[in-house]
Amino acid sequence: MLLDKVFPGGKTEQKVIDNIKKHIKTLCSASDCFKRALEKRDKDLMFCVPDLEREGDAIRREIISTIYEGAFLPFLRPNICRFVEIVDEAFDVLEDAAHEFEYLYSELDKEIEEDCIKIADMNLKMSEMLFIAFETLFGKEDIREKNLAIRIYENKIDEIKFDLTEKLRRKEVKNFWEGKILSDFIADLTHVSDVIEDASDYLYIMNISLR
Amino acid sequence: MKIEEIMVKKLESVEANAPVYDAIEKMVDRRIRSILVKPKDEKDVYGIVTMRDIVFKVIGKNLDPNKIKVEEIASKPVISIDKDMDIDHVISLMNKFNIARVFVSEGKEIIGVASLFDIMGASLIEKARGGHVA
Repeated sequence: MLLDKVFPGGKTEQKVIDNIKKHIKTLCSASDCFKRALEKRDKDLMFCVPDLEREGDAIRREIISTIYEGAFLPFLRPNICRFVEIVDEAFDVLEDAAHEFEYLYSELDKEIEEDCIKIADMNLKMSEMLFIAFETLFGKEDIREKNLAIRIYENKIDEIKFDLTEKLRRKEVKNFWEGKILSDFIADLTHVSDVIEDASDYLYIMNISLR
Repeated sequence: MKIEEIMVKKLESVEANAPVYDAIEKMVDRRIRSILVKPKDEKDVYGIVTMRDIVFKVIGKNLDPNKIKVEEIASKPVISIDKDMDIDHVISLMNKFNIARVFVSEGKEIIGVASLFDIMGASLIEKARGGHVA
Protein backbone atom coordinates (compact mmCIF):
# COMPACT_ATOMS: atom_id res chain seq x y z
CA MET A 1 0.00 0.00 0.00
CA LEU A 2 2.72 2.43 0.99
CA LEU A 3 5.03 1.65 -1.89
CA ASP A 4 2.04 1.88 -4.21
CA LYS A 5 1.66 5.50 -3.12
CA VAL A 6 5.31 6.28 -3.85
CA PHE A 7 5.39 4.84 -7.35
CA PRO A 8 2.25 4.95 -9.47
CA GLY A 9 2.64 1.59 -11.21
CA GLY A 10 5.94 2.18 -13.05
CA LYS A 11 7.36 -0.75 -15.01
CA THR A 12 10.89 -0.53 -13.62
CA GLU A 13 9.58 -0.22 -10.06
CA GLN A 14 7.43 -3.30 -10.54
CA LYS A 15 10.45 -5.15 -11.90
CA VAL A 16 12.43 -4.25 -8.77
CA ILE A 17 9.61 -5.37 -6.48
CA ASP A 18 9.18 -8.66 -8.34
CA ASN A 19 12.91 -9.28 -8.15
CA ILE A 20 13.06 -8.50 -4.43
CA LYS A 21 10.29 -11.07 -3.90
CA LYS A 22 12.24 -13.54 -6.03
CA HIS A 23 15.37 -12.75 -4.01
CA ILE A 24 13.67 -13.49 -0.68
CA LYS A 25 12.02 -16.62 -2.08
CA THR A 26 15.44 -17.83 -3.20
CA LEU A 27 16.63 -17.29 0.37
CA CYS A 28 13.68 -19.42 1.55
CA SER A 29 14.70 -22.16 -0.91
CA ALA A 30 18.32 -22.04 0.26
CA SER A 31 17.23 -22.23 3.92
CA ASP A 32 14.92 -25.14 3.13
CA CYS A 33 17.64 -26.98 1.25
CA PHE A 34 20.12 -26.36 4.08
CA LYS A 35 17.67 -27.81 6.59
CA ARG A 36 16.97 -30.90 4.48
CA ALA A 37 20.68 -31.54 3.91
CA LEU A 38 21.28 -31.28 7.65
CA GLU A 39 18.42 -33.64 8.46
CA LYS A 40 19.63 -36.20 5.92
CA ARG A 41 23.30 -35.62 6.82
CA ASP A 42 23.79 -35.26 3.09
CA LYS A 43 26.88 -33.23 2.20
CA ASP A 44 26.14 -33.48 -1.54
CA LEU A 45 22.66 -32.05 -1.10
CA MET A 46 24.27 -29.10 0.73
CA PHE A 47 25.74 -27.94 -2.62
CA CYS A 48 22.33 -26.49 -3.45
CA VAL A 49 23.06 -23.65 -0.98
CA PRO A 50 26.04 -22.15 -2.88
CA ASP A 51 24.08 -22.67 -6.12
CA LEU A 52 21.13 -20.71 -4.77
CA GLU A 53 23.49 -18.09 -3.31
CA ARG A 54 24.89 -17.48 -6.82
CA GLU A 55 21.32 -17.21 -8.11
CA GLY A 56 20.62 -14.70 -5.33
CA ASP A 57 23.71 -12.70 -6.34
CA ALA A 58 22.47 -12.44 -9.92
CA ILE A 59 19.04 -11.26 -8.73
CA ARG A 60 20.67 -8.71 -6.41
CA ARG A 61 22.78 -7.31 -9.26
CA GLU A 62 19.69 -6.98 -11.42
CA ILE A 63 17.78 -5.18 -8.65
CA ILE A 64 20.60 -2.70 -8.02
CA SER A 65 21.06 -2.07 -11.78
CA THR A 66 17.35 -1.42 -12.27
CA ILE A 67 17.33 0.98 -9.32
CA TYR A 68 20.30 2.89 -10.74
CA GLU A 69 18.56 3.02 -14.12
CA GLY A 70 16.04 5.23 -12.36
CA ALA A 71 13.49 3.09 -10.57
CA PHE A 72 11.91 4.75 -7.53
CA LEU A 73 12.33 8.27 -6.24
CA PRO A 74 15.96 9.12 -5.34
CA PHE A 75 15.30 9.33 -1.58
CA LEU A 76 14.06 5.72 -1.59
CA ARG A 77 16.88 4.15 -3.59
CA PRO A 78 19.54 3.86 -0.84
CA ASN A 79 17.00 2.28 1.53
CA ILE A 80 15.90 -0.34 -0.99
CA CYS A 81 19.51 -1.10 -1.97
CA ARG A 82 20.48 -1.49 1.70
CA PHE A 83 17.57 -3.86 2.35
CA VAL A 84 18.58 -6.02 -0.63
CA GLU A 85 22.19 -6.06 0.56
CA ILE A 86 21.18 -7.23 4.03
CA VAL A 87 19.15 -10.09 2.49
CA ASP A 88 22.22 -10.91 0.41
CA GLU A 89 24.31 -11.01 3.57
CA ALA A 90 21.95 -13.69 4.92
CA PHE A 91 22.75 -15.74 1.80
CA ASP A 92 26.48 -15.31 2.41
CA VAL A 93 26.30 -16.42 6.03
CA LEU A 94 24.14 -19.42 5.12
CA GLU A 95 26.61 -20.33 2.37
CA ASP A 96 29.52 -20.14 4.84
CA ALA A 97 27.63 -22.48 7.19
CA ALA A 98 26.99 -24.86 4.26
CA HIS A 99 30.70 -24.96 3.36
CA GLU A 100 31.66 -25.57 6.97
CA PHE A 101 29.15 -28.42 7.14
CA GLU A 102 30.89 -30.00 4.15
CA TYR A 103 34.25 -29.72 5.91
CA LEU A 104 33.11 -31.03 9.32
CA TYR A 105 35.54 -33.76 10.40
CA SER A 106 32.93 -36.10 11.83
CA GLU A 107 29.18 -36.38 12.14
CA LEU A 108 27.57 -34.02 14.62
CA ASP A 109 26.74 -35.43 18.06
CA LYS A 110 23.07 -36.32 18.29
CA GLU A 111 22.17 -33.58 20.77
CA ILE A 112 24.15 -30.94 18.86
CA GLU A 113 22.59 -32.11 15.60
CA GLU A 114 19.05 -31.81 17.02
CA ASP A 115 19.70 -28.22 18.05
CA CYS A 116 21.23 -27.38 14.66
CA ILE A 117 18.19 -28.78 12.84
CA LYS A 118 15.90 -26.74 15.09
CA ILE A 119 17.88 -23.59 14.26
CA ALA A 120 17.87 -24.40 10.53
CA ASP A 121 14.09 -24.86 10.70
CA MET A 122 13.67 -21.51 12.45
CA ASN A 123 15.97 -19.83 9.91
CA LEU A 124 13.62 -21.12 7.21
CA LYS A 125 10.54 -19.88 9.06
CA MET A 126 12.19 -16.49 9.56
CA SER A 127 12.96 -16.12 5.86
CA GLU A 128 9.35 -17.07 5.05
CA MET A 129 8.20 -14.44 7.53
CA LEU A 130 10.50 -11.88 5.90
CA PHE A 131 8.75 -12.57 2.60
CA ILE A 132 5.36 -12.09 4.26
CA ALA A 133 6.64 -8.87 5.88
CA PHE A 134 7.81 -7.53 2.51
CA GLU A 135 4.40 -8.25 1.01
CA THR A 136 2.71 -6.22 3.75
CA LEU A 137 4.37 -3.11 2.27
CA PHE A 138 1.75 -3.45 -0.48
CA GLY A 139 -1.19 -4.54 1.64
CA LYS A 140 -3.24 -3.32 4.55
CA GLU A 141 -1.76 -5.66 7.14
CA ASP A 142 0.44 -4.37 9.93
CA ILE A 143 4.16 -4.99 9.37
CA ARG A 144 4.76 -4.54 13.09
CA GLU A 145 3.37 -7.98 13.95
CA LYS A 146 5.51 -9.66 11.27
CA ASN A 147 8.56 -7.88 12.66
CA LEU A 148 7.65 -9.08 16.17
CA ALA A 149 7.25 -12.68 14.94
CA ILE A 150 10.77 -12.52 13.48
CA ARG A 151 12.11 -11.20 16.79
CA ILE A 152 10.41 -14.07 18.66
CA TYR A 153 12.12 -16.59 16.38
CA GLU A 154 15.43 -14.83 16.89
CA ASN A 155 15.07 -14.96 20.68
CA LYS A 156 14.38 -18.68 20.49
CA ILE A 157 17.50 -19.22 18.41
CA ASP A 158 19.50 -17.20 20.94
CA GLU A 159 18.31 -19.52 23.71
CA ILE A 160 19.34 -22.60 21.74
CA LYS A 161 22.67 -20.94 20.94
CA PHE A 162 23.31 -20.51 24.67
CA ASP A 163 22.78 -24.27 25.22
CA LEU A 164 24.82 -25.19 22.18
CA THR A 165 27.78 -23.18 23.43
CA GLU A 166 27.61 -25.12 26.70
CA LYS A 167 27.58 -28.42 24.81
CA LEU A 168 30.45 -27.36 22.57
CA ARG A 169 32.57 -26.43 25.57
CA ARG A 170 32.23 -29.97 26.89
CA LYS A 171 33.06 -31.56 23.55
CA GLU A 172 36.51 -32.98 23.06
CA VAL A 173 38.17 -32.12 19.77
CA LYS A 174 41.14 -33.89 18.22
CA ASN A 175 42.84 -30.96 16.56
CA PHE A 176 42.64 -27.23 15.94
CA TRP A 177 40.86 -27.42 12.57
CA GLU A 178 38.19 -29.83 13.78
CA GLY A 179 37.35 -27.44 16.62
CA LYS A 180 37.53 -24.33 14.44
CA ILE A 181 35.30 -25.68 11.68
CA LEU A 182 32.70 -26.93 14.16
CA SER A 183 32.77 -23.63 16.06
CA ASP A 184 32.52 -21.59 12.83
CA PHE A 185 29.66 -23.78 11.61
CA ILE A 186 27.63 -23.13 14.77
CA ALA A 187 28.55 -19.42 14.77
CA ASP A 188 27.39 -18.96 11.15
CA LEU A 189 24.28 -21.10 11.57
CA THR A 190 23.19 -18.99 14.52
CA HIS A 191 24.18 -15.71 12.82
CA VAL A 192 21.73 -16.13 9.90
CA SER A 193 18.83 -15.20 12.17
CA ASP A 194 20.59 -12.00 13.30
CA VAL A 195 20.92 -10.89 9.68
CA ILE A 196 17.29 -11.74 8.84
CA GLU A 197 16.24 -9.79 11.93
CA ASP A 198 18.31 -6.82 10.68
CA ALA A 199 16.57 -7.07 7.29
CA SER A 200 13.18 -7.16 9.01
CA ASP A 201 14.08 -4.13 11.15
CA TYR A 202 15.17 -2.28 8.02
CA LEU A 203 11.88 -3.14 6.34
CA TYR A 204 10.07 -1.76 9.37
CA ILE A 205 12.08 1.47 9.19
CA MET A 206 11.35 1.75 5.46
CA ASN A 207 7.69 1.31 6.23
CA ILE A 208 7.78 4.16 8.76
CA SER A 209 9.74 6.45 6.41
CA LEU A 210 7.10 5.93 3.70
CA ARG A 211 4.17 7.00 5.88
CA MET B 1 -2.64 -25.72 17.09
CA LYS B 2 -1.62 -28.54 19.40
CA ILE B 3 0.61 -28.12 22.43
CA GLU B 4 3.13 -30.61 21.01
CA GLU B 5 3.93 -28.14 18.21
CA ILE B 6 5.08 -25.40 20.57
CA MET B 7 6.40 -27.26 23.62
CA VAL B 8 10.08 -27.18 24.51
CA LYS B 9 11.51 -30.68 24.48
CA LYS B 10 14.51 -29.86 26.58
CA LEU B 11 13.67 -30.79 30.15
CA GLU B 12 15.78 -30.12 33.17
CA SER B 13 15.27 -32.52 36.06
CA VAL B 14 16.67 -33.28 39.46
CA GLU B 15 16.60 -36.40 41.66
CA ALA B 16 14.01 -36.34 44.44
CA ASN B 17 16.59 -37.03 47.15
CA ALA B 18 19.09 -34.42 45.88
CA PRO B 19 19.69 -31.33 48.02
CA VAL B 20 17.76 -28.18 47.06
CA TYR B 21 21.14 -26.57 46.31
CA ASP B 22 21.49 -28.90 43.27
CA ALA B 23 18.16 -27.67 41.96
CA ILE B 24 19.19 -24.03 42.54
CA GLU B 25 22.44 -24.57 40.65
CA LYS B 26 20.68 -26.09 37.65
CA MET B 27 18.04 -23.36 37.61
CA VAL B 28 20.65 -20.60 37.71
CA ASP B 29 22.85 -22.26 35.07
CA ARG B 30 19.97 -22.95 32.70
CA ARG B 31 18.10 -19.70 33.43
CA ILE B 32 14.87 -21.56 34.24
CA ARG B 33 12.23 -20.92 36.86
CA SER B 34 11.14 -24.47 37.58
CA ILE B 35 12.63 -27.92 37.48
CA LEU B 36 11.12 -31.36 37.13
CA VAL B 37 11.60 -33.76 40.04
CA LYS B 38 12.14 -37.35 38.96
CA PRO B 39 10.04 -40.13 40.56
CA LYS B 40 11.88 -41.96 43.34
CA ASP B 41 10.71 -45.36 42.14
CA GLU B 42 8.16 -46.94 39.80
CA LYS B 43 5.29 -46.22 42.19
CA ASP B 44 6.24 -42.58 42.58
CA VAL B 45 5.19 -39.76 40.23
CA TYR B 46 6.90 -36.70 38.74
CA GLY B 47 6.94 -33.52 40.83
CA ILE B 48 8.02 -29.94 40.32
CA VAL B 49 10.06 -27.38 42.21
CA THR B 50 9.65 -23.75 41.28
CA MET B 51 11.61 -20.62 42.14
CA ARG B 52 8.71 -19.69 44.45
CA ASP B 53 9.09 -22.97 46.37
CA ILE B 54 12.80 -22.32 46.86
CA VAL B 55 12.42 -18.70 47.91
CA PHE B 56 9.37 -19.13 50.16
CA LYS B 57 10.03 -22.59 51.62
CA VAL B 58 13.82 -22.52 52.01
CA ILE B 59 15.52 -19.13 51.62
CA GLY B 60 12.68 -17.15 53.24
CA LYS B 61 12.78 -19.44 56.26
CA ASN B 62 16.57 -19.20 56.58
CA LEU B 63 16.98 -22.91 55.96
CA ASP B 64 20.15 -24.36 54.48
CA PRO B 65 19.47 -25.49 50.86
CA ASN B 66 22.23 -28.07 51.26
CA LYS B 67 20.34 -29.77 54.07
CA ILE B 68 16.84 -29.78 52.59
CA LYS B 69 15.95 -32.43 50.05
CA VAL B 70 14.16 -31.53 46.86
CA GLU B 71 11.28 -33.89 47.62
CA GLU B 72 10.54 -31.95 50.84
CA ILE B 73 9.55 -28.82 48.94
CA ALA B 74 8.37 -30.33 45.64
CA SER B 75 4.75 -30.21 44.53
CA LYS B 76 3.40 -33.60 43.48
CA PRO B 77 1.95 -34.80 41.23
CA VAL B 78 2.97 -32.38 38.52
CA ILE B 79 0.13 -31.07 36.36
CA SER B 80 0.65 -32.51 32.92
CA ILE B 81 -1.43 -32.49 29.77
CA ASP B 82 -1.62 -34.72 26.74
CA LYS B 83 0.59 -33.77 23.79
CA ASP B 84 -2.46 -33.64 21.50
CA MET B 85 -4.32 -31.06 23.58
CA ASP B 86 -5.41 -27.93 21.74
CA ILE B 87 -3.79 -24.61 22.75
CA ASP B 88 -7.15 -22.99 23.61
CA HIS B 89 -7.88 -25.78 26.05
CA VAL B 90 -4.39 -25.48 27.56
CA ILE B 91 -4.87 -21.73 28.07
CA SER B 92 -8.13 -22.24 29.94
CA LEU B 93 -6.53 -24.94 32.11
CA MET B 94 -3.56 -22.72 32.96
CA ASN B 95 -5.95 -19.92 33.78
CA LYS B 96 -8.08 -22.20 35.97
CA PHE B 97 -5.10 -23.55 37.94
CA ASN B 98 -3.22 -20.22 37.84
CA ILE B 99 -0.01 -21.78 36.56
CA ALA B 100 2.65 -20.32 34.27
CA ARG B 101 3.83 -23.55 32.66
CA VAL B 102 2.55 -27.04 32.01
CA PHE B 103 4.34 -30.26 31.38
CA VAL B 104 3.37 -32.27 28.34
CA SER B 105 3.04 -36.03 28.52
CA GLU B 106 2.81 -38.96 26.19
CA GLY B 107 1.36 -41.82 28.17
CA LYS B 108 3.16 -41.77 31.51
CA GLU B 109 6.25 -40.09 30.15
CA ILE B 110 6.82 -36.33 30.39
CA ILE B 111 8.11 -35.25 26.98
CA GLY B 112 8.12 -31.45 27.11
CA VAL B 113 7.12 -28.24 28.81
CA ALA B 114 5.25 -25.17 27.61
CA SER B 115 5.17 -21.80 29.34
CA LEU B 116 2.82 -18.86 28.96
CA PHE B 117 5.66 -17.16 27.06
CA ASP B 118 5.84 -20.07 24.58
CA ILE B 119 2.08 -19.90 24.06
CA MET B 120 2.12 -16.14 23.57
CA GLY B 121 5.00 -16.39 21.08
CA ALA B 122 3.35 -19.20 19.11
CA SER B 123 0.03 -17.32 18.94
CA LEU B 124 1.73 -14.15 17.70
CA ILE B 125 3.65 -16.07 15.04
CA GLU B 126 0.51 -17.86 13.88
CA LYS B 127 -1.32 -14.53 13.63
CA ALA B 128 1.59 -12.97 11.73
CA ARG B 129 1.72 -15.85 9.26
CA GLY B 130 -2.00 -15.42 8.69
CA GLY B 131 -2.19 -18.53 6.50
CA HIS B 132 0.52 -17.25 4.14
CA VAL B 133 2.62 -19.78 2.29
CA ALA B 134 5.85 -18.19 1.09
